[in-house]
Amino acid sequence: MGLRKYLDNITPHFEKGGKYEKYYTMFEMVETLLYTRKQVTQAAPHARDYIDLKRVMTYVVLATIPCIIMALYNTGLQTNQAIQLVGAENASGWRVWMLTLLHIPFNPNNIFANLIHGAFYFFPIYIVTLAAGGIFEVIFATVRKHDVNEGFLVTSMLYSLIMPASTPLWQVALGIIFGVVIGKEVFGGTGKNFLNPALVGRAFLYFAYPANMSGDSVWVAVNGYSGATALSISAQDGHQALAAANVSWMDAFVGTIQGSLGETSVIACMLGLCFLLYTRIANWRLIVGCLGGMIIFSSLFNLIGSTSNPMFAMPWYWHLVLGGYAFGLVFMVTEPVTAAMTNPGRYIYGALIGFMVVMIRVVNPAFPEGMMLAILFSNIFAPLIDYFVVQANIKRRARKHV
Amino acid sequence: MSDQDTKLGAWAKFKALPIDSTPKTLLVAFSLCLFCSMIVSGAAVYLKPVQEANKALDKKKNVLQVAGLYSPDVDIDEVFKQIEIKIVDLKTGRYTDVVNAQTYDQKAASKDPSMSIVLTNDPASIKRQAKYASVYIVPTSDGSIDKIILPIHGYGLWSTLYGFIAIKSDGNEIAGLQFYEQGETPGLGAEVDNPIWRAKWPGQKVYGDDGKVKISVSKNPKPAGEAGRFHVDALAGATLTSRGVDNLVKFWMGEQGFKLFLDNLKNGSL
Amino acid sequence: MADSNKKLVLDPLIDNNPITLQVLGVCSALAVTSSLKVALVMAIAVTLVTAFSSFFISLIRNSIPSSIRIIVQMVIIASLVILVDQMLKAYAFEVSKTLSVFVGLIITNCIVMGRAEAFAMQNPPVASFVDGIGNGLGYGLVLLLVGIVRELFGSGKLFGFEILPTVSNGGWYVPNGLLLLPPSAFFVIGMLIWAFRTWKPKQVEPADFKIVVQSEGH
Repeated sequence: MGLRKYLDNITPHFEKGGKYEKYYTMFEMVETLLYTRKQVTQAAPHARDYIDLKRVMTYVVLATIPCIIMALYNTGLQTNQAIQLVGAENASGWRVWMLTLLHIPFNPNNIFANLIHGAFYFFPIYIVTLAAGGIFEVIFATVRKHDVNEGFLVTSMLYSLIMPASTPLWQVALGIIFGVVIGKEVFGGTGKNFLNPALVGRAFLYFAYPANMSGDSVWVAVNGYSGATALSISAQDGHQALAAANVSWMDAFVGTIQGSLGETSVIACMLGLCFLLYTRIANWRLIVGCLGGMIIFSSLFNLIGSTSNPMFAMPWYWHLVLGGYAFGLVFMVTEPVTAAMTNPGRYIYGALIGFMVVMIRVVNPAFPEGMMLAILFSNIFAPLIDYFVVQANIKRRARKHV
Repeated sequence: MSDQDTKLGAWAKFKALPIDSTPKTLLVAFSLCLFCSMIVSGAAVYLKPVQEANKALDKKKNVLQVAGLYSPDVDIDEVFKQIEIKIVDLKTGRYTDVVNAQTYDQKAASKDPSMSIVLTNDPASIKRQAKYASVYIVPTSDGSIDKIILPIHGYGLWSTLYGFIAIKSDGNEIAGLQFYEQGETPGLGAEVDNPIWRAKWPGQKVYGDDGKVKISVSKNPKPAGEAGRFHVDALAGATLTSRGVDNLVKFWMGEQGFKLFLDNLKNGSL
Repeated sequence: MADSNKKLVLDPLIDNNPITLQVLGVCSALAVTSSLKVALVMAIAVTLVTAFSSFFISLIRNSIPSSIRIIVQMVIIASLVILVDQMLKAYAFEVSKTLSVFVGLIITNCIVMGRAEAFAMQNPPVASFVDGIGNGLGYGLVLLLVGIVRELFGSGKLFGFEILPTVSNGGWYVPNGLLLLPPSAFFVIGMLIWAFRTWKPKQVEPADFKIVVQSEGH
C-alpha cells in the first residue's frame, strides 16, 4: 500500500491552502482512478453501492475492447488489401516506412501484420484525441473547479472508434475539442450535457470537412485507391450491387468492410452489448426501441418500394450491418446521460433513432449514413419525451384519485 | 355665411376629436399609405433603368466569363459588342427570328406555357423547356465563328444550376463550362464554381465518332488516351451534384437540346 | 444632450447589444454572415432603416392612433426597406444578388420594430434617430465579428481577398465547411455572448434555479 500512503502524504499540498491548490483537479483525477473515492455521501437518504460513475465509465471502455481489436485488424486488413492492389512499391508514408523497417509484410492474410498496421492508424488518432481533449477537459475542470471526469475516457474512446482511418490528426484534435467544449463543458460538464460529446465532435468534422468525412468514398489512406463505402454503393445501385463489390452480408456482419475504424464489426459490437447488458449499464429498453423502430420503418419502406431510389428496397438486416448502426446502437443509444430517463420514454427514444436513421439513409439524398445525425437529433428530443411521459403519468394518477 | 360656419365647425370638430377616433384613424392610415406608396413607386420607377442595365450587364459578364474574355478591368459592354446573340429554335436546330434576340429571356420563357414544352423525358429535372434558346457567337478576328456559348441548366442536389457551356466551331470540343447560379452544399457541390474543377472541361469532347453524346462526369478513373477526352472527374464527395451536372450536360447536348443545332453548325447548313 | 446622445450610440454596442444581450435579429445574422462584404452591406442597411424609421415614427408619434400603431410602424419600415432594396439593386447589384430575400426580411427584423415600439414612440425625433443608429451599429458590430470569423476560417478570405491560402488554390489551409453553413453562426454568436459575459459579468442573467451542492468533501 505504498502508493496509497504516498497519495495520502501529498494530499495536503493539493487541498485548499496547499502549495498546488490549483492542480487539485489533476491530483484528484489520478487518485480516484487508482482508488475508490474516500468521500462518500453523508446526508440521508442514500444507498451504498460499489457502482459509481467511475466504475460505469470503466465498464463502457472495457466493453469497447472487441471493437478496438476489430478496428486494428480491419483497418490493417483494408489497408493491406489496398496496398496489394496498387502494389507495395506505390505505397508511401511513415507507416509503410516503419513496417518495412520492422520487416512486417503488407500481407492481408497475415493477422499479425494486419493488427500492427491497424495499430499504426488507430493509436495516433487515439493519443491525439486523449491529449487534445484532455487538455481542454483539465482547463475547464480547473477554471470551473469541478473534477476531471472519467466520462472523458469513454468519450475519447468512442470518438476514436468512429473516426475514419484517413482523418488528418489535426482534424481529430479539432473535432474532439469541439465535442468536449461545445458538446459538454458549456452545459456544465458530464451529466449535464444533452448531446453525446463524441458525436458532436464527429458531426463537427462531418460538416466542416465534408470532402473527406461524409462517408461517400472510402477512407483507406492509400494513394491511387478509391471507391465507395458499402452504404453509398447501396444508395446508388441498391444493396444487391454490394455482391458485385465483394461485400457479402457475412463480411459486413464480421466487419471486414470499409468504414470508420471501429464501427464495421457487428459481432464485436454485440460482444460489447452483452457485457453492457450483463452489467446493467445499458438499458435493454433503449435497444429494443431502436431495433424495433429500424426494423418496422425499413420494412415499411420495403413495402412501399420505389423505382428511382434503390435504398427503399434495402431490408432491415442490411441496415443493421452497414455503416455505424450497430456501433451507435450499442455505445451511443445506450449512453445514460443523453438518453431518455423514463422507461416508456426509452422505448420512444430508441424508436425515434431507429426511425430517423432509416429516414436519413433512405430518403435524404445527401447523406448515405444517418446513425450519427439520428442519435444527435433524438438526444435533443430526449428531455421532451421524458417530460410528456412524466406528465402523462401525473394525469393518469390524478384521475385515479379524484 | 352660416354655411361656412358649419364647415369651419366641422373642421374644428374633427380637430378636436381624440387621436383614436375612427375618422382620425382613417385619415392617418390613408395619408400615410398615400405618402409611402408615392415614395416607393417613385423610387421603383426612377431606379428601374439602372436595375435593368445591371441585370443585362450581369448576364453579359457571365457570357464573357465562359468565353474566356472576362477580366475584372475590361469594359463589359465594349467587349460584348463583338459577340453576336442569336435565337435557336431547338426543334429545327436553326436560327429563328420569332423573338427579339436582344430582349428574349429564356429563363422566363421556360416558365411560360406558350413559349415552352413540357418534357416527358427529363433527365435534367427541369420539367419545362423553352422552345427557343439564346446562343452567343464569339467570332475570331477574321469574322468566322470561334466558339458558341450555349445556356444550360438542370437540377443538382438542392438547387437548379444555371450556366453556360462554350463549344468550339467544330461543334464538338468544349471550350469552357461555368455555372452562374447554384445553391449546392458549400465545400462539396458548390465546388462546381472551383476554377480547378472548371479547368477540367476545356479541351474535352462532347460527341463520339458515331455522333452520340459521349461526354460524362464520372467517379471512375480517367481512361488513358483518346477516351479520356470524354471524361470529366466528378466532384469529390458530391455524388448527386456531379450526377446532376452529368445529366444536364448530356440533356442539353443531346437530341432535345442543342445537338441538331451543333450538327447544322458542323455541316455548315445554318 | 450631447452626452445622452453619446450614450444612445455607445450603449447598444456592448452593454445593451441587440444581438448578444437582447438576442434579437439573430435570423438575418445567421444568413448573411458567410462573407464580410455582404455582412457589411447588411449592417449599413439595417442601421439606416432603424435610424430613419425611428426618426419618422417619432416625428408623427403624437398623431399615431394606438389602434393601428403597429401597422403604421410596419408601413413606414416596409417603405424604407423597399427603398433600400431598390437602391441596392441599382447601385450594388452583386451584393444584392447574395443578400436576395434578406433585405426584404429587414422588415421582420425585431431590432427595427423593437426600437420603433420601445423607444421612438416615447422620444423626440433626433434622440430616436441616434438610438436607431446606435442599435444598428450594435447589430452591425456583431455581424462583422461573425462575418470575420466565418469568412476567414470558412473560405480563408476577408472581403474576398485571400488571407489564408487554401489547399484548392495550392496553399496549406483546409477551409472549414461548417462555417459556410448558416447554423455555424449560432456557434459563433454563442461564443461571442460567452466572451461578452465573461468580460462584463453584469450581463449574466440570474439562474432560474440553483443546483444544490451535496455536502460531499470539498
